[in-house]
Amino acid sequence: MKSSNRWKNTVISVSALLITATPAFAQTDASRIAELEEKMSLLSEQLAALQSELSQVKTEGQTATAEEIQSLRTEVGAARQIALQATQRPNVMTSTTSTTHLSGYASADFISPENGNSAFTANFNPMFHFQWKDKILWEAELAFELQEDGETEVELEYTTIDFFLNDNIIFIAGKFLSPLGNFRQNLHPSWINKLPSAPPGFGHDGAAPIAEVGMQLRGGVNVGTNSKITYAGYVGNGPILEGEGGEIHGINAGGFAGDADGRKVVGGRISYLPFPRLEIAVSSAFGDAAVTEDDGFAVSGDPLRNYNVFGFDVTYQWKDFDFRSEYISQDVADSALSISPEGGKWETWYAQGAYKFANAKWEGVLRFTDYTTPHPDLSQEQWAIGLGYLVSSSAMIKAAYEINTGLTGEISDDDRWLLQVAYGY
Amino acid sequence: MYKQVFKLAAPVLLVVSFAMGLTLHPAVAADTPAVDETDAAQFARGARTWADTCARCHNMRDPKELRADQWRSAVAHMRVRSGMTGGEARDVLAFLQGGSDAQVGLATQGLAVAPVISDDTNAGKAIYAQTCIACHGADGKGSIPGVTDLNAGDGPLSKTDEELVRNISEGFQSPGSFIAMPAKGGNPTLTEEDIKAVLEYLRVEFGE
Repeated sequence: MKSSNRWKNTVISVSALLITATPAFAQTDASRIAELEEKMSLLSEQLAALQSELSQVKTEGQTATAEEIQSLRTEVGAARQIALQATQRPNVMTSTTSTTHLSGYASADFISPENGNSAFTANFNPMFHFQWKDKILWEAELAFELQEDGETEVELEYTTIDFFLNDNIIFIAGKFLSPLGNFRQNLHPSWINKLPSAPPGFGHDGAAPIAEVGMQLRGGVNVGTNSKITYAGYVGNGPILEGEGGEIHGINAGGFAGDADGRKVVGGRISYLPFPRLEIAVSSAFGDAAVTEDDGFAVSGDPLRNYNVFGFDVTYQWKDFDFRSEYISQDVADSALSISPEGGKWETWYAQGAYKFANAKWEGVLRFTDYTTPHPDLSQEQWAIGLGYLVSSSAMIKAAYEINTGLTGEISDDDRWLLQVAYGY
Repeated sequence: MYKQVFKLAAPVLLVVSFAMGLTLHPAVAADTPAVDETDAAQFARGARTWADTCARCHNMRDPKELRADQWRSAVAHMRVRSGMTGGEARDVLAFLQGGSDAQVGLATQGLAVAPVISDDTNAGKAIYAQTCIACHGADGKGSIPGVTDLNAGDGPLSKTDEELVRNISEGFQSPGSFIAMPAKGGNPTLTEEDIKAVLEYLRVEFGE
C-alpha cells in the first residue's frame, strides 16, 4: 500500500510538471515548440502506460520493482529538465541573431505667453532600434511636430549604424546628435527634461549644435574602481551660416547631408566621473564654415571663415537632489569679403536644481539661463520654475512659469506659462 | 598648429581604432544567452551600474516595462548614449532581464534554478549585499530616488512575512512611489529560502 502511494505521488508530480511547463512552451520559437511537443507526446504516452500499470497494481495488489521505480525516476528527471529548459528560453534569443525595438517619446503642451494667444500643441518622436547580435545597432529617431497652420513637420533627428568594436570603443556612422555638451544629446527628450521647455540657446540656430553628419568614435573606460572617463570624437560636414540683411542670422548646426563649404568640422567631448554621481565634461569643435544661404536664397562662393565650439557641463546627484549646469558657445570669425562680413558669438549657459519629494512622486525645478547672441532681439535671460508630477518613471505632468527678460517688445521678453504631459515609451 | 595636427590625427585614429576593434577584441557580448552567464555578482554589478548610470539623466525605468529581448537593444542604445563599457552593459542587461516579465514567469512557476546561499541571517546579509544594496543602500534608506526607506516604522517591514515574501518574489511598487522593485530584486536565481533569509536579515538590521 505504501508503494502504491509513492507511485501515485510520482504520477501526480509528473502531471504537475507537464502542466506547469506548458505556458512557457508557448513562448519559445516554432522549432523548439515542435521539439517539446514531440517530447511531451512521448511523455504523455509513457504516463498513460504508467497509469495503466498503476491501475493494474492496485487491482492485483502487486508492488513495483526497483527497476520500475528507477525507470519512473528517470522519466520524471527528463520531464523536469525539459520544463527547466523551456522556462529559461523566453529570456534569450536562441534562434535569431537580430532583435527589434520601437520606443520614443511624445508630449502634449499648452503654452500661454504674456502677450499673444495661448495654444495647445503636440508632437511625438518614434525611435527605432534594430540590433544584429551584440555587434551592430541601427538606431533612428524621427520628430513629428504639429505646426500652427495644421501641417505636420517631420524631421530626421538621427540615423546611425553603431559598430560595437570592443568593450570601450563604438564606431558610429550617419547622422547623430551632436556629442558636444550634454543637454542636446541626453536631456532634451520631453520625458527626461524636467521642465516643459529647453533652456534658451539650446534650440535650433542657437548656441548649442543640434546634430552632425559624419563619423564618430565614442565609449567609456573605467579608471580605478569607482572612476570613469567617457569620450566622443567626430568628423562631420559642419554647420551652415544663414545670412539675413547683410548679417549672419544664425549658425545652423542641425546636421546636413551636403557640405556646401567643402570643409569638415572636427570635435568631441570628454568627461570625467570621479565617482558615479558626478560628471564633469568639456567639449570642443573647430573647422570652417561659410554663408550658404542669404534671405532664404542659396549662396555659393562665399569665403570660408573659422568656426569654433566650446562647452563645459557638470552633473551631480545626491539622494533626491539633482543639479546640472552647462555652458556652450558657437562662434564664427569676421570675413571682410563675405556678403555677411561680421562674425559673432552665440553663447548660453544654464544652472538647474531639482528636488524630488513626497515619496519622489513630485519634483520641483528651478533653472536660470543666460543666452547671448549678436542680435539683441534674440538674447534672453530666463528664470524658470516648475513642478512635475511623476505618474510613472517615464510619464509625467509638468507645469512651469518662465520669467523672461529680453529686448522690450520682443517675444524674448514675454513671460510664459507652460503645461506639458510627457511620456517616454 | 594644434588644429592641423588634430585634423590629421582624427581620421587616422578612426581607422586605427576600427581595425583594433575588429582584430583585438570580441564584440560587446558573446552570442551565448545572457541567462547562462549570469551569477549573483553580475546581478549586483548590474543593479549598481543601473542605479548609477541611468539616474544621471532620467528617472529609473521599471525592468518590467520591457521584455527581456527588448531590453537587449534598449541597453545597447543606452550604452551608446551613456558611455557604459561593454562589461557594464552586460551587467545591466543581466539585471534588467532578470527583472523582466519573462523571468517573473519563471519565478512564479517555482522552477528557478538552484539556491545561491543557505537560509540563515548571514546568508541573508550576503544576499542583501549582492542583490538589494544597489537600490536600498547599506543603511536601508534607499540610494536612488523613489526607493522606500526600510527603516521607517510604517515602511515595508511593517508587513507580514508572508506578504513580504510574496512582494519580493513577484516584485512590488510601493503606493506613491514611481519606481517598482523587480521580482526577486532582479535576481531570478534567488530561491524562496534565499528570500526568507534576506527577510530575516532585514528584520534584524532595519526592523527595530
